[in-house]
This record gives sequence, structure tokens and C-alpha cells, in this order.
Amino acid sequence: MKKNAIKLLMISLVMISCSKNEDVANSVNLHFNNTFKNTTIVLGGLDSPVATTNTSADGQVHQFSELKYVISNIRLVKADGSEIPYNVNDLDKGATVVNQAKLSSLDYMLADIPVGEYKQIKFGLGIKPGLNTLDQFRFPVFYATAEANDTEMMWQWATGYRFAKMEGFYENDHKKFTIHTGSTLNGKPGQPDTYVQGVDAYRDITLDLDTRLVVGGNKPQITIKADFDKLFSGKNKISINAKYATAPQQHEGMEVMVEYVNNLGGDDKEDRAGMFSIEKVEN
Amino acid sequence: MKTVIGILFTLLIILSCSKEDSFVLDNDSNPEIPFFIPTDFPALNTTVKDNRPTKYGVELGEKLFNEKRFSGNNTISCASCHNPSLAFSDGKMQAIGIEGRVGLRNTPPLQNLAFMKFYNWDGNILELEKQPLVPIITHEEMNSSILEVIRKIGDDSDYKDLFQKAFGEGGITPDRIYRSIAQYEYTLISANSKYDRVKRNEGERFTAEEERGYTTFKTKCASCHGTELFTDQSFRNVGFPMNPNPEEAGRGRVTGRQADQMAFRVPSLRNAAYTAPYGSFGQFPTLRSVLDYFDKGVLDAENLDSILKENGNRIPLTEQEKLAIIAFIGTLSDPTFIGK
Repeated sequence: MKKNAIKLLMISLVMISCSKNEDVANSVNLHFNNTFKNTTIVLGGLDSPVATTNTSADGQVHQFSELKYVISNIRLVKADGSEIPYNVNDLDKGATVVNQAKLSSLDYMLADIPVGEYKQIKFGLGIKPGLNTLDQFRFPVFYATAEANDTEMMWQWATGYRFAKMEGFYENDHKKFTIHTGSTLNGKPGQPDTYVQGVDAYRDITLDLDTRLVVGGNKPQITIKADFDKLFSGKNKISINAKYATAPQQHEGMEVMVEYVNNLGGDDKEDRAGMFSIEKVEN
Repeated sequence: MKTVIGILFTLLIILSCSKEDSFVLDNDSNPEIPFFIPTDFPALNTTVKDNRPTKYGVELGEKLFNEKRFSGNNTISCASCHNPSLAFSDGKMQAIGIEGRVGLRNTPPLQNLAFMKFYNWDGNILELEKQPLVPIITHEEMNSSILEVIRKIGDDSDYKDLFQKAFGEGGITPDRIYRSIAQYEYTLISANSKYDRVKRNEGERFTAEEERGYTTFKTKCASCHGTELFTDQSFRNVGFPMNPNPEEAGRGRVTGRQADQMAFRVPSLRNAAYTAPYGSFGQFPTLRSVLDYFDKGVLDAENLDSILKENGNRIPLTEQEKLAIIAFIGTLSDPTFIGK
């Protein structure tokens, strides 16, 4: 009798663990399409014949030689409104650097997403306060990704990460621009009342999935468009000049940077999309 | 049966307690170092109470402060730029890191840090424990990483022993490195200058020249270089010649406020005689050149300090006043602190 009971238990345990692999969760791929309006960006050096050019609202022609940004704090919202956080407090498992020069970085696979229908995706452009310290001990993988020489997504002096890095050339004489964003907020992790004397460049993005994401048998993909036309021609129309070409530097500091941050990631109030939109959902 | 459960519970409690990383100070084997707070000094930075210096914490911190393996190529330590015989400054215009790389700013002297609310010239660090990482990872300074540092010193039995004595079980961690260095730095208190001894009525007196300098100082300098630290710890744009490096925005880089553009923390004048050159990137070779500059007139700026604005962008000083002020600043030198 006892033996039979144990057998039954074992079998049911095996069944439970099996069913967990096949029906309970699946992966979701996030694909990032970095564009100027509807054209996917091709990077290029000073006199590159292939680099995609764009014209700003102010009529300034520009192109990118480098384009990187950090995505973290990813959450998927189910049809019933419940939120599935994806390693939101673990930069090693839940954050990535999207680098236009590195094809593999344009895809980010979310593993073990519970089965179901999803109506929304939320994520952060940059890293939320409290996690944004250069903590190699806690998150060696992300630290290494950010530190890599071809990436350099760190502000050592502020012991924080760079959130976005856009470099390139503008106007016919190909003047250089260098736009970097990041936070300088100080305080204790997870205690917002201690955050003082800094600029918060983290932006929380919310995008509706008009075609619902279905996690189940297949491995669905969400293509997120990041339209860098918005950099100079978003809510803030920015004319690139000496002052605006080296944000946040050139003695003008963070005020200029925040205009760019709001164009890319919204203002964290009414505009929660910034340059981002859902291009398509493939189930 | 009940006893067994009781024992089990006790065990569980013990286990869960020992798991916690917070290290309880054992005052017998690693006593706290009594904190000497000089007369009329401002209150301690509130984080000091969470990281009180202990005998072995400070000993470890000092050893780490002099550890050249902190740098990528094992050539420089904290003490390479923070030289004890120059009040922990380096005598150079801008800090020089590994392979001769030139930093953005002048190395700040380290003294009375336990009483400071802001660290660095732009005040971006509020807790001293958060500072040691910055030079370790900065390209122009040590160009390493905290895990690389731990790899290099991790097998050193002296360190193993000291970390154990200072913090108990748990080995070498980044947090313990930061905390021990901060503990050591908290003990760097300079309050035994001639000025202090005169103040404390220990039988010494200012010379006539020093006395005149002190009088002028109180009317023309002390509104910024106030308190017994000789800095009010405010950030001001005083119209000094600007650092040509486009990375420089002063405190504006931290706060993002237009009012903080090119504003820097008012430096303490204690031990100033040892800490030349002066200014955020060492613009001024001597104290005399600083006073001459203020007398002649500073660069205008929208956010120029209001006291300077009200005085026609200058601090008028006569030749006698300059000499007397320099003599007074000399009384802020603390030979017992130098080479500590």
C-alpha cells in the first residue's frame, strides 16, 4: 500500500514537473528596430557612403556613427491587468545594452514567461534609481557588458551607467556631435526619500500591444521601434549647435541633456512612450 | 519531543542570525577608536555612526590606502595622489593616474572628512564609503575594477588576517574595502595648528601680522571660508579661469541646475600652505596668485557668486592685506598632521 502511494506520488511529481516545461512558460523575443522615421538606421563614419542620413525639424542633416541604449526593468502586463516582472532587480538577468553596431544585441530573449495573453509591455530606458550603481560584485555580467571597450556605457565619476549614447555628424561640413545620457541621482537603494541632488534620466516606457501577445506553444516576438528622428525632432525641437552638440558637457550640463532624455523616453508624466512604439507582434 | 522541537527552533534562530552579514562590533578584540571631536567643529557626517572606525578597520584601511595593486598596472595607490606629507594632496595641477594620464581636476587634500557633508569638488559623493570605487575604475586614475583588486589581494595572508580581525568571517568584499578605507580617512583629523592652539588659550599668540591677517580674513574671506573647517561647504562660482576640458561643468554636472554651472565646493584653508597649486584644476601656483586674482577681478558669469557680484566682481585687497592674510593662513598649518 505504502509503496503504491509513493509510486503515485512520484508519477504525479514527474507529471507536474513535465507540464511545467511544456505548458506553463515560454520565451518571448524582443527585437529592437532602431530607425530614422521608418528607415532602419545604418551607422557610418565621417564620410561613409552607406550611413543613413536624417533631416531634423530644423532642417539639419545628421547621421549616427554610434548608437547604444540600456533597456531594463521589463514587465509584461496580462490581459487581466496583472503584471509579470522580468528580473527587474537583477541587471545580469534583466537588463541589456542595445547596440546598433552589434546585430545580436538587437534581440533580447525573455525566458520563462508564463502562458497567457498580454496587452502591454513596460520597460525602462536606462536603469532605475537604486540599481544604478557600478556594482561589479552584484552584477558582473551587466558590468562587463557596459564596460567593454566597444561599449563604454559607464559614468565612472557618478558611479552610474550611461543610459544612452548617440554620436555622429551633422550638417554638410560633418561637425561631430556627442550626446550621452545618464543619472547622477544619489541615495540609498530602494529608498526614494534619500534620493538627492541629482538628475534622474531614467524613463519608464509603457506600450500597448494592439495585437495581443500570446505566450503558449510558439515563441512570439515583439518588434519595438525606436525612432531616433525624435532625438532632435521630438517634443523638444532641438537645433544642433556647439551648445547642443556635446550634451551633457560643454559647460551647459544636464539641462540640455534632459531635453534629449525627454525626447527619447518621454517625460515620465503624460508621455510614456518617447521614441518607442510597437512595430508588430508575431505570435 | 517538545525539547527536540525547542532545540530545533533555537538552532534555526542561531542559523538565521549567523547568516546575516551585519558585523557586530566586538569591543574586546576590535575596539572602536574614540572619536576626538575638536572644539567648535561642525557635526559629524551622519554616515559615520554606521561605520565607526575600529582598531583593525583603520589599520586595514590604511594598508589598502597604500596598496598599489589597486591600479591596473600596480603602480599607484590612493597615497600616490593623496600624499600624507602634503596634507594628502599631490602638489600637481591635475591628478596624474597610471601611465601618466592626466585627470580632470586637482587632487583634493584629505582632512577632517568625518565632518564634511559633501565630497569631491562638485560634491557628487555624500557618503565617504561610496568614493573609493571612483578612482579604482576611472580610466585617468587607477583604471582597474573592484573584482580585479580583490583577485590581486585575495590570496595575501596579511589581508585575510586583517579583514577577519576588522569585520569577522566573510572574507574580502567590496563593501568591506570601501568601509575600511573610509574608517581610516575618518581618523584624518587636523586640529592642532597654531590657530587652534591660540584659540584654545594654550599660551601661544598670533604675531602682529597674523593678527592683522585674521582681522582682514574675517571681513573679506570668512563668509565663504567659514566655520572651524574654514569652508562653509557651499558651492560657488567664483569666476576662476575655466578648465578647458569640455567635461567640466562644476557642480552643474551633478545637479543639472544652471545656478550650479562651474560652481565648486569652497575649499578648506586648513593646511593650505601644503596644498598648492590651488583651484579646481590647479590654475593658481601660490596663495598670493589667488589673492591677486580676486583683487584684480574675476570672470563674470550669470551665476557668479552674489558676494562677488555685489563687490564689482572682485575682492579688493591692499598689498599689506594680502601679506597679512597669507601670514594668517600659515597659522592654519598643522605640522602634527603632515606625514601622518
